[in-house]
Amino acid sequence: MRVLLRVLAPLVSLAVAALGVLLVVEVVAAWTSPGSGAGLLVPWRDWRTTGETVLWTAPPVLWIAIVAVVAGVVLLAVGLLARRHDIALTSPSPGLTVATAPRVLARLVGSRVRALDPVTAASVTASGRSVVVRARGRGEPDGLRDGARTAAAGVLDALPLARRPRVTVRATPEQPGTSKGVH
Amino acid sequence: MAADTTPVETGSGGPQPSDDPRPPTPSNPRRAARAARKAQYRSAGGARWGLTLLGFVLLAAGVLTILLVSGVFGQQRPQRPVLDPMIQQFLVANATATRLVAIAVGVLLLVLGLLWAARSLRPEGHPDLVLDGGTGTEIRIDASAAADAVADGASSLPGVTRARARMVGSAAAPAVRATVWIDEDVADDEVAEICRRLDAEVLAQVRDSLGLADLPVAVRLELDSAPRSGPRVA
Repeated sequence: MRVLLRVLAPLVSLAVAALGVLLVVEVVAAWTSPGSGAGLLVPWRDWRTTGETVLWTAPPVLWIAIVAVVAGVVLLAVGLLARRHDIALTSPSPGLTVATAPRVLARLVGSRVRALDPVTAASVTASGRSVVVRARGRGEPDGLRDGARTAAAGVLDALPLARRPRVTVRATPEQPGTSKGVH
Repeated sequence: MAADTTPVETGSGGPQPSDDPRPPTPSNPRRAARAARKAQYRSAGGARWGLTLLGFVLLAAGVLTILLVSGVFGQQRPQRPVLDPMIQQFLVANATATRLVAIAVGVLLLVLGLLWAARSLRPEGHPDLVLDGGTGTEIRIDASAAADAVADGASSLPGVTRARARMVGSAAAPAVRATVWIDEDVADDEVAEICRRLDAEVLAQVRDSLGLADLPVAVRLELDSAPRSGPRVA
């Protein structure tokens, strides 16, 4: 989203500026020499004729409206979602801020969970609000889950996080079926 | 400019506690906190606001058109031309006012668009530090030299593998943005200690030597993926 924002912002800003130039040029041209041609830079008199004849019920009007809605939703999404997702750490003094990326937190939690003996594989998704651990390993899923939760909570407690994320652990046994106790 | 530094092997290059037992205290903690937050990254607030506003206008126009076409504003309304004769008559009756408003809107769009484009395309400034050296004297510290002082101090802390820093903001309100890579094997509770020593030793010394007690600093912690000598799983 940040990349999209950086690409879109200059393009949209220049389009807005170009629209302003066209508006000023056409209005001044029409004011100084009324009724000359279809327009100086854009044929706005043709557009006006079209606007006078086309009814609201015409299919192109609806299609243009739908395109505007879609473009509006895309721009809104980019504008609202392209924020930083950094995780704030408590700083020792007001003149210093300490932050880190969610990726760093996920790596720290992941390395501690993988260090557990029964865990054979683990993946971690972290954000400022929640940390989701998916652990795969040997033994009972409950024990695995508790171990992974303790390890993840230990990391979060030790780090000076400004806000402690919620921990969710999903444990899956290494070989499904063997630990169910069927026999 | 950015400066990558390598860890200092001996402790001699490390930050020494200042002789002055009192750390330089910022005159206004709230303003210092705001300045430090602002230094974290280059603000994209203007671009986000612009896109959000434009998106909202497009969305509103599209939705209103669809509502009009579907007859919400009256069953007869969709049967009229897009450029309604009623509106056209009003515009022709107030021709001068319409033209002036159109020109004003055009100029406004042009100015806003150009300001926005300039803001989004302009590279971020890295101001030199200007210290007051007395009457008629101006001490100018190169932006990279001042930032390197922070980076060098940070990278000499135990648990920190390397650090990079740069001056951001303006010459009137400079700030430091630093990225500190910590060792992947560092204990989790050492991170708080690194932050504490960074503030109490490194930044205190840099602020003291530059004479800028208020210098805001934004630190970003990263994990260093150092090449491992042994197998990952024992």
